[in-house]
Amino acid sequence: MNPIAVALWNPIVAKEYRSRMRTWRSPVAMTVYILLLGGLGWAIFSSMTFSARNSFNTGQAANYGQGLFLYLVLFQMVLLAFITPALTAGAISSERERQTIDLLFVTKLPSFSILWGKLLASMSFVLLLLLLSVPIFSLVFLFGGIELDQLAAAFLVTAVSALTLGIIGIACSTAFRRTLPATVSAYGAAFILLAGSLLFGLLFPTDIDPNATTAPAPPAVTYLSPILPLLTIGTNGPINNFGVRNGNNNIYPTGGTGMACSTTPAGVQSCYPIGPGKGIVGGPSNPVQARGTTIPSGLFSGWQYWQATVTMQLALSLIALIVGAILLSPIRRLPWRRRTAAPVTT
Amino acid sequence: MIAVEQLTKIYGRRTALDAVSFEVPRGEIFGFVGPNGAGKTTTLRILAALMEPTTGRAFVDGADVTMQPDRVHERLGYMPDFFGVYDQLTSAEYLDFYAACYRQPRARRKKITDDLLELVGLSDRRDQAVDTLSRGLKQRLCLARALVHDPAVLLLDEPASGLDPRARVEMREILKELQKMGKTIVISSHILPELTELCTMVGIIDQGRMRATGPVLDVIRQLTSGRRLRITILGQREEAVAVLKPLPMIHALSALNGAIEAEYEGDDATAAAILQALTAAGIKVSGFSQLEGGLEDAFMRATEDAP
Repeated sequence: MNPIAVALWNPIVAKEYRSRMRTWRSPVAMTVYILLLGGLGWAIFSSMTFSARNSFNTGQAANYGQGLFLYLVLFQMVLLAFITPALTAGAISSERERQTIDLLFVTKLPSFSILWGKLLASMSFVLLLLLLSVPIFSLVFLFGGIELDQLAAAFLVTAVSALTLGIIGIACSTAFRRTLPATVSAYGAAFILLAGSLLFGLLFPTDIDPNATTAPAPPAVTYLSPILPLLTIGTNGPINNFGVRNGNNNIYPTGGTGMACSTTPAGVQSCYPIGPGKGIVGGPSNPVQARGTTIPSGLFSGWQYWQATVTMQLALSLIALIVGAILLSPIRRLPWRRRTAAPVTT
Repeated sequence: MIAVEQLTKIYGRRTALDAVSFEVPRGEIFGFVGPNGAGKTTTLRILAALMEPTTGRAFVDGADVTMQPDRVHERLGYMPDFFGVYDQLTSAEYLDFYAACYRQPRARRKKITDDLLELVGLSDRRDQAVDTLSRGLKQRLCLARALVHDPAVLLLDEPASGLDPRARVEMREILKELQKMGKTIVISSHILPELTELCTMVGIIDQGRMRATGPVLDVIRQLTSGRRLRITILGQREEAVAVLKPLPMIHALSALNGAIEAEYEGDDATAAAILQALTAAGIKVSGFSQLEGGLEDAFMRATEDAP
């Protein structure tokens, strides 16, 4: 085997697959996942048919499709945010608790391979869940209103976010000797990634430059959250008034006032400013409104939201992976510190 | 094969190892004896490149454990004192997994697994789930695991702890088999009888310090100063004691189950002289034997004067 194949496919992956798939937990997890996602899809579908019976409009089918899609991608993301840390947070710490880790350290597998094998095995299960959800997402195409590239982008964002959560979970698992603190910190990290970064946008919104010709964008930290790109992909519309300071607003001093894109089953048109004086009253507060799904200004100006999110999350994953690899080694040593022979006392 | 030079390990303010040195030549079985907490596991973990010494060096088959841990792992099979097994795997899969971790080619792994299961007597349990094996069988499987890459050196940390007498004897038989195969073996233990019979060399460690090291008989002689005789007399016990007491080489006399035990200083010729003195005085000696000082005795003496 060539070195890349060896690095990618190591015995840990095969062993993890084997032991994971031999328990009853995996089929149960898959079934529950499908039932939850399918159940939500069914619930939205029936509420739509109910409202459609009252006022049927042929042009609205596409909106139903978008609404269903948006709910499903967001729900899938939240589900994976619960599942992934559980899959990875015990990966290394459980080996420590079971006292099997030393047996791996004395083999020819480098520490990084152990980490990578564990990650690959856990993430394959997440990928399996994502693939299982494809038939449910195909329902959306019954209604139309969603293009294939939107679906692909949404799945990419979801998969990369799950990968990031997985790697953070593994890093937590190497940092803590016990599974419980590792799991708690991995869930904490998942919460920060999904919601904390959005909260940052609310607490420290971008100041509006009254002379700007482009619309203000939320602070770059908020792009870490997969929620923003999923909203833009699902609604095919811009993010306005989230994470942006509203200058002369006395009632909402920090501006922002939460997600402007409230997502009704009716779909796209739900992105509107909700704080008083936002874009409607005019003045210096928000001179230009964003259009389209690109980031209007700031560090990632001109990028799609999903591109910014994927880039930032991959960077974060890389950092977490390196930290994890350093922490895992039985003799913790920074990679740039050379091995030196211990002095012999006389 | 194994060389340990002035190995010191300090945890915070506690010195776990204090300038420990010893050598184990190729093909020897080295018994590493000491009470719990003496530093045996720390030494073995440093030898297995799982821990760095504070100072000092250690070599396994010429490879420095701090500088070349990969080469050390290639040459070394390690069995820790406490270890777990993976559930949901059979014995054969368990060994195959570790053989793969040691980068053994797929074509050879089946043969390695079969041979090792045969060696440790688990061939009939190859498809049994590992976590359902008894402790003794798990211990044997773990020993087989340490051998998947055919290492020249084996480090076994308390391989017989928690085993019933039968399992212990079986483990000893396997180790003898391995010695015949030319492996250098280091066994740590706090149970002495199992080592006396098996080991060719011994090291006694206590409170992080090496008290004695070398071939088993040398260490026993070195530590148990004075040799002992058991003399059985037909009647005339008082007369015999009266003859023995004034002899300059006799240190102490004691009565034991009708026999006399005499501690003396000297060699075989001295023992012959003692027998001669007895018969010359007309004492009827029916039994006269030299008692070897045991490892246990040596160990007690080595550790009693510890600070």
